Amino acid sequence: MSVLKDIGAIAKGMSITFGEMFQPTVVENYPDGPGPFKGAKFQERFRGLHVLQRDENGLEKCVACFLCAAACPSNCIYIEAAENTEEHRISGAERYAKVYNIDYNRCIFCGYCVEACPTDAITHGHGFELAAFNASNLVYRKEQLLMPTPAPQLQR
Amino acid sequence: MVISEKLDRFFTEKMPEYPTKRSFLVPMLLYTQDELGCLTDEAIAYLAKKTELTELEVRNVISYYSMLRTKPMGKFHVQVCTNISCQLRGGDEIYEHCKHKLGIGHKQTTADGVFSLEEVECIGACSWAPAVQVNYDFHENLTPGKMDKVLEDYRNRK
Amino acid sequence: MVENTQLVSLTVDGKKISAPAGTLLIDACKASGIEIPSFCYYPGLSLQAACRMCVVRIDKMPKLQTACTVPVAEGMVVTSESDEVRQARKATIEILLGNHPLDCPVCDAGGECELQDMTFTYGAAESRFMEAKAHKEEQQWSPVVFFDRPRCILCYRCVRVCGEVMDVWALGVQNRGVNSVIAPNMGDHLECEECGQCIDICPVGALTSGAYRYKTRPWEMNHVGTVCTHCGDGCKTTLGVRRADNGMEIVRGDNRDKSGINGDFLCIKGRYAFDFQQHPDRLKQPLVRKDGKLKPATWDEAFDTIAKRFNAIREQHGGAGFGVIGSTRTTNEENYLLQKFARSVLGTNNIDHHRTADYPAFAAALAGKPEMAASLRDFEKTPAILLIGNDPTHQHPMLATAIRNNVRLHGAKLFIVNHEGLKLRRQSKAYAHIPKDGYGKFIAFLGGDDAVASALANGHTNREQLMAMREMLRGEHQLVIVFGAEVRGKDLETLVKLGMSHTGVKFACLGDYANSRGAADMGLYPDLLPGFTPLADAGDFAAEYGASLPKSAGMDLEKMVDAAKAGKLPAMFVVGANPMARYNVQLGELKNCFLVVQDMFLTETAAMADVVLPAANAYEKSGTMTNTYGDLQIVRPAGDFAGAKPDLELIVRIADRMGVAPQSLVPFGRGTRADMGQSRGAQSGEADRHAIWMVAQGIEPKVSPFDPQALLDEIQRLVPGYGFSRLNLFAGNDVPTHTAGKGKGAHQDPELIWPANDTLFTSGTLGRYSNTLNSVVEAHEGKRYPTQVETD
Repeated sequence: MSVLKDIGAIAKGMSITFGEMFQPTVVENYPDGPGPFKGAKFQERFRGLHVLQRDENGLEKCVACFLCAAACPSNCIYIEAAENTEEHRISGAERYAKVYNIDYNRCIFCGYCVEACPTDAITHGHGFELAAFNASNLVYRKEQLLMPTPAPQLQR
Repeated sequence: MVISEKLDRFFTEKMPEYPTKRSFLVPMLLYTQDELGCLTDEAIAYLAKKTELTELEVRNVISYYSMLRTKPMGKFHVQVCTNISCQLRGGDEIYEHCKHKLGIGHKQTTADGVFSLEEVECIGACSWAPAVQVNYDFHENLTPGKMDKVLEDYRNRK
Repeated sequence: MVENTQLVSLTVDGKKISAPAGTLLIDACKASGIEIPSFCYYPGLSLQAACRMCVVRIDKMPKLQTACTVPVAEGMVVTSESDEVRQARKATIEILLGNHPLDCPVCDAGGECELQDMTFTYGAAESRFMEAKAHKEEQQWSPVVFFDRPRCILCYRCVRVCGEVMDVWALGVQNRGVNSVIAPNMGDHLECEECGQCIDICPVGALTSGAYRYKTRPWEMNHVGTVCTHCGDGCKTTLGVRRADNGMEIVRGDNRDKSGINGDFLCIKGRYAFDFQQHPDRLKQPLVRKDGKLKPATWDEAFDTIAKRFNAIREQHGGAGFGVIGSTRTTNEENYLLQKFARSVLGTNNIDHHRTADYPAFAAALAGKPEMAASLRDFEKTPAILLIGNDPTHQHPMLATAIRNNVRLHGAKLFIVNHEGLKLRRQSKAYAHIPKDGYGKFIAFLGGDDAVASALANGHTNREQLMAMREMLRGEHQLVIVFGAEVRGKDLETLVKLGMSHTGVKFACLGDYANSRGAADMGLYPDLLPGFTPLADAGDFAAEYGASLPKSAGMDLEKMVDAAKAGKLPAMFVVGANPMARYNVQLGELKNCFLVVQDMFLTETAAMADVVLPAANAYEKSGTMTNTYGDLQIVRPAGDFAGAKPDLELIVRIADRMGVAPQSLVPFGRGTRADMGQSRGAQSGEADRHAIWMVAQGIEPKVSPFDPQALLDEIQRLVPGYGFSRLNLFAGNDVPTHTAGKGKGAHQDPELIWPANDTLFTSGTLGRYSNTLNSVVEAHEGKRYPTQVETD
C-alpha cells in the first residue's frame, strides 16, 4: 500500500504546484511597468531616496536648521544656509538651504533625518535605483532631491 | 535755547537739591513738556546734557511714563479715567462719548489741534467719579450731557 | 571686594558649604558645585533680579528668594531644588515662552540657547497661553548686530554689559511691562564700539551677529582656542571653524568659556575681523617675476629661484648683501627661526621689524628685576594704575576693559597722563592733559623738577592739578605704571628708575601688534640677539648655531630700505611685513634688489617682489605668541587655506634648497626623546600613543622640520626670560615671560619707533582685508588719527 500512499503524496504536492500555475502572477512587472518606479511597488513605509518637500505656496519647507545633519549617524548630509530676501524668497522662514547635499555613498536610510526635521521638509520617497559607475555621482544635490514645483495654480 | 531762559535758570537753581543730577530728570521732563507741549528731540538733547546722561537714557525714561510724550497733543488734553471707580459710575460711556464727539481715538488729536483724547488710569478723583482731567483741571460727577458742556466751554475758550 | 573676610557656613540641599561673607548665594552654590539657573545674573555685572529663574527656598524667609541678590549668611538653610522651586521656575519659563517664538530651527542661538536648555530641564515646553504671540520684524542695528525683538527675554544683560563693562551705554530699555524693548542709541541703529559683547552675552537669540548669521549651527563647528592676531593685548579667542571648499573657514570668534587673560571680552577685531582668512584676494600660489611681471609658478620653481639667487648673492657679497625684515604678526618660533636663518645661514645682522615700542630700553631698564614686569592680569586687581600716553580704548581694548573693571569692581585709582582727551578719563581719579611733546617733561616733573610744571600746564590742566596728581601718586603702592610708545629711550629709563621708589611697583610697555613683543624678544634687531642679548654676548647662540655669527651691528629697517633704493642691497627677504608702504616706496624705486616676500596678500611690498610666497596667517598655524606685557600663549591652527604654507615651513624650505641641513635650523628629533618615547624597538608603541595624544591636543609631534615645538625647545633653552612652565602653556593658559635684559641693551634710535596708531576699527595692512571691520560706520567716520599710516 505504500505505493498508493506515495502516489497520493505526490499528487497532493503536485496539486499545489499545478494549482499555483493557474493563479495570477505575483511578480511585479519591473522594470517594464508604468510610472516613475517602472512597475516596482512599495509599502508606504519604505525608506528610499529622500525628497525635499514644498509647502502649499510652492516654497521650500527646508529652513536649513541642520538638525538632519546633526541627527545623521553616517554624517552624509551637507548644508549651507543663506538668508531669504524680499525679492529672493526660497523658503517660508528667514533662511533656506543654499546647498543641500546627501551623499548616498554613506547614507544608511535609517530615517533619523526625517524624524529630526522640524518642518517635515525632508521625507523618504520611494526612489531606489541608486547605482552609479562613479561614486561622486552618488552625492545628490538639492536640485535632484527637491520635489518638482507643483501645479501652476499653487504657485505664488 | 530750547526752553525759556527762566526755566533753564530754575533748573540750574534746583539741581543741587537733588542727590544726583539724574534724580531731577522726571520733574525737568514735566516742566519742559508743559512749556513746549511735548518733548522734542532738541529738548531731549538739552536735558541729556543738563543731567549728564545719554540721550538714550532720557528717551528710556520718557518711554516709561505714559504722561510724557514726544509728539504734540491738542491744546486741551482730555484724559478720561476708566479705572474701577469711574468705570462703575460710567467712565466708559464718558470715554465713548468723547471719542464720538471729538471724532478721535486714544492718544489722538483733532484736526484743528484743539483737543486730544487719552484713556487714563486712576487720577485720584474716585470720590467724584466719573472724572475727567483736562490739562491740569478736574471735572467731576460727569454725565455725557455734562461732558458736552465741558468740551463746549473749552472750545469757546480757545 | 570680598577678600580677607571671614568664611560663612551655610547649608544648601543638606550639604554644608562655606563662602566668604558678602558672596552672593548663587555664586557660593556654583563654587560648591550646585548649579542654580539664571538668565539675568551675570558675574561682574550689577544685579538685576529680573528673570526670577534663580529662586530658592531659604528657611525662615516667607517667600522664594532670588539667589542672585541674597548674600550668604551664617546658618542659612537653602533648598535649591524642590517641587516648589521647580514649579516656580517652570512657571517663569512658561511666561517667558508666552511671547517667545518657536523658531529654534532658524535661530542662530539654537543649540546653545540658555532658554532652550532651561526649557528642556524644567519641561515647560507646553504652554497654556492661547493668545497670538506678539510678532515684530527683525531689525538690523549695524552690520554686525541684529536684533530679533520677540526672542528677547528682557534679562538686561546686554544693557548692563554695554554700559558697565564697555562704558559705552549704547543700549537701553524703553517702554514698560510687557511692552519693554531693548533700544539702540541711535533710534533705529547702533553707533558704538561694535564689540559684540551684547551678542555674546545674550542668553537667547535676540541679539545675533551679522558675521556669523546663518553660516552654520553651533554643533556643526569645531572650536579652536588660539590667540587673536590683531593688537598687542593677545586676547585668547575661540574660533569656530567649519569645512569649506578650500580648507577650513573661520565662522565665529568668541571666548565664551572665559579661559585666558581676557575672560569673555573681545573687541570688534577679535570677534569679527577673522574674515581676511577667506578673502578672495588671498594668494593661492607662489608668484615669480618673469619678463617684469609677477606670474603664478610652482613651489619648486619659486624655491629654486630664491635659493639660486640667495646662494649667488651670498657668494658674491657675503652677509652684507642681505636685508631681512620680520613680522609683528608671526609666531615667536617663526621670528626666532628668521633671525637664526639670517644670522647663521645668510650671515647678516641686517635684520629688523616694524618697531612700535621701545622694548630694548624697557628690558634694559628692568635689568635684574624681571618680577617688575606687569602681566595683563596685574591690571585686574592692582589698587593703582598710572597710564602714560597711548589710548587703550582704541589700541589696547582689553587693557581698557581690565582697567575699567578694576575701577568699577575693586575701586582702583587710575591716573592718566595724555595729550588727548581719552574715554578712560571717566574712570580716572586724576587726569593730566599735557602737550603732545610733554611726556619727557612730565617724567622730569614726576621726578621732582618743578620748573617744567609751567611748561606742562595749559588750558586743560593747570599747575596745581599737576602738583596734586604728583602728590597723590607718591603715596601709591602696588602701582602699575603702563606707558605707550610716547615714552622711549632715556625717558623710559628715567620713568622706570623713578617708579622703583614705590613698593610693589610693576611696569608695562605697550606695543601695537599681536606679536610685536615676540618679534623684539626673538631678536629681530640689527644689534640684539634674542632676549635682548648684545651681539658681543653671543656665546650660547654661536655655540648652538654652530656658525660664526656676524659680529658687527647690521642695518636697521630704514637704512635697509634706503640701501635698496640706492641699489646697494642685492637681496631683501621680507616676511609678513609691508615696509614699502610705510616708507612710501613706489613701484620701480628699488634698484638691483632681489626681493622675496612672504605674505597673505599682494601688498605694496609684495607687488614689488621678485618672488612672492603665499603665507598662512596666525589663525592657520601653531606656535606661541607673546603679548605686549610678556604673557606667552599658545597659537593653534584653526582655519586652513589651501595653497598657503606657514612662514616657518617656507623659511625651512628656502634654507633646504640653499643646501642647508634643516636639522641645523630646526632641531627636530634632537633632544626630544623623553617627549616622544622610542620610535624603534620594544617601546616603540609609545611614540605612536604620544603622537595620537599630541594630535588630540592640537600639538604637532616633533618629527618634522616644520614643527614649531622643536624651536620652542631651543627658545626655552637659549632665550633669557623664556624659562616658563610648559605645562601651563600647553593647557592653554598664559604664562609670563621675563625678558629683562642681562645688562644695558643697545641703545635704539627712537625715530625708528613708529606706532601703528590703529583705532578699534583698523588693523594695519591686515585690517584692509577684513570686510566686516570695514563695514561698520565707525570705521569711516571720525578717524581720530589723520596722520595714520598703514603698516604691517
